[in-house]
Amino acid sequence: MPTFGTLETGRVADRLPAMRDLDTEAWALPGAEILQLAFEVPRATAALLPRAMHPAIPPYATIWVIRYPESPVGPFTLAQLRLMGRAGAHPRGLVLGGVASTPEAATALRERWGLPVVPGQVTLTRRHDRITATVTRDGATVLDAGLVDPEPISGTDVQYIHSVTLARAPLDGKTGPLLVQVDSRYTLKRADRGRPHVSVLVPAAWNADPLRLLEPIAATATSSDTDLPRIRFVMDVEVPVVRGTRRIRESREE
Amino acid sequence: MKFGLFYEISVPRPWTRESERTVYENALEQVRLADELGFDQVWAVEHHFLEEYSHCPAPELFLTACAMITRKIRVGHGIIVCVPEFNHPIKIAERTAVLDILSGGRLEVGTGRSATWTELGGFRANPDTTKKSWDEFVRCLPKMWTQDSFSYEGEFWSMPERTIVPKVYQRPHPPLWVAVTSPGTELDAADRGLGSLGLTFGQFAEQEKRIAEYRRRIRHCEPVGEFVNDQVSTVNFLYCHEDDATGRATGRRMADTFNYLASQLISAREAFPSRSYQSLGLLPQLRRQATGPDAGEQAGEGLALGGPQRVLNALKRWEAVGVDRVNFLLNAQEIIPQADVLASLRLFASEVMPAFADSKPGNGVPGAGA
Repeated sequence: MPTFGTLETGRVADRLPAMRDLDTEAWALPGAEILQLAFEVPRATAALLPRAMHPAIPPYATIWVIRYPESPVGPFTLAQLRLMGRAGAHPRGLVLGGVASTPEAATALRERWGLPVVPGQVTLTRRHDRITATVTRDGATVLDAGLVDPEPISGTDVQYIHSVTLARAPLDGKTGPLLVQVDSRYTLKRADRGRPHVSVLVPAAWNADPLRLLEPIAATATSSDTDLPRIRFVMDVEVPVVRGTRRIRESREE
Repeated sequence: MKFGLFYEISVPRPWTRESERTVYENALEQVRLADELGFDQVWAVEHHFLEEYSHCPAPELFLTACAMITRKIRVGHGIIVCVPEFNHPIKIAERTAVLDILSGGRLEVGTGRSATWTELGGFRANPDTTKKSWDEFVRCLPKMWTQDSFSYEGEFWSMPERTIVPKVYQRPHPPLWVAVTSPGTELDAADRGLGSLGLTFGQFAEQEKRIAEYRRRIRHCEPVGEFVNDQVSTVNFLYCHEDDATGRATGRRMADTFNYLASQLISAREAFPSRSYQSLGLLPQLRRQATGPDAGEQAGEGLALGGPQRVLNALKRWEAVGVDRVNFLLNAQEIIPQADVLASLRLFASEVMPAFADSKPGNGVPGAGA
């Protein structure tokens, strides 16, 4: 059996987002600009992964910076750090931390999808030879990163892995830590690939100690219509996902 | 139809000093028995870093051991990763020639390019160029085996004129194959006159379509070797038991274990978007079969799991679809006790193999022979 994460949920319970309910309505998010940077990370990051999930072989993380020009809470830009792993047999990215460019977006993302997001300043800038992103909180830069030397690729070559969030959510009359699947859809209109470059990443700002970035893998920048969907699956934090998954509703549309 | 064994060398945790040795020794015992029972080939993969799934980075060594303890069974080196960071072409030519000599001309050579970031990233290989380097390697290899002297200037490697020794034992050279997982690779095989070494499970209708296209295309091929290998091989699980329900249940556990382990690997496409890995390949298929909507009975289509009659029926379907060879995975993570694996092989040989008795000894490939 593959190894499992070793996160002691009790140690992080106090800072988990609190969801209102599991009846979140979907958001359509057209015209998003998505920057993704992928890096291998140390095996010690298994300590950040819930016991229900398997670490990827080798462990890797993705930095996501997404500009949403339209949303029910207005335009905003969202940066996330995700530790990639496996929920049973499925690739999933656990969102360790995030920063949204508006307080309204941060609150909504925490309450509706359990994303561990706080407000801050987030920029996403497309230049001829690079696409850069910065994240600042309380006057300090916690991310300065980008894609270098973009080259067009086919949108069909890009595969975005669904997210899971670790949040306190009400289920069966109790509120406690749950893994929540956030399986957005993407209709890609443009895609570039390049080299990932990170000059600043402060792990603590993303709830990510002891994560360090090791081998760079790839960076992509895409334009895409996407969404934040209704929640279909939640998972027990401590039980292997193949045994601990609960279907909340049959389809996104329900 | 011919039958063979296919080894990933799956080693479960916890890894002890003896656990890997035990898996290898069990595999060798199975190969020895398979040779006695009339199986035609044994294949061993080349994989690196694939924890629990495959501890088989040096198949040429395992296959040498197989050759030393058997008399007739052919040894399939497959697949050799034809990417310069993994294997230098000169070393491929040399070590395959030695294996062909030591086995008395029983070598088959599978070629491929790796499909996981786990491996490609581990060797710091560029996923964008693996198909191109594979193409270069397979065009060189027959010449390196057969020409008195050889020199080469290519995009991925080069060498001044030298005599590469030893030469392969088979004349003109061993049969060459291509690992086929992604749709379309069978056409790459056909265009070059190479055998199609299918590594996907099940799905008769899809396989039938792909085999038909391969057959059509290979008639017009420009062979990279000195003969055309137009054989189609596929891989399957095997667990044959007198009691059909027991065979199916145990076999299904093995298949599920294998698929679950495979789903833990990082496909090249998952981490590194590339035109070179456009198709989803094998891993997502196995992932679906492990836990998705394809799990259960539907995923069992064509699998050689169950009582002898069920296994026979499945293989007759494969024969009708156009498959020439079936290579079997016998275990995953050693979840089936060794005695039961050996019993399964014996039962298969006594109850199923005779229904395919038209199989002839030898490699069955026109043009190749010791």
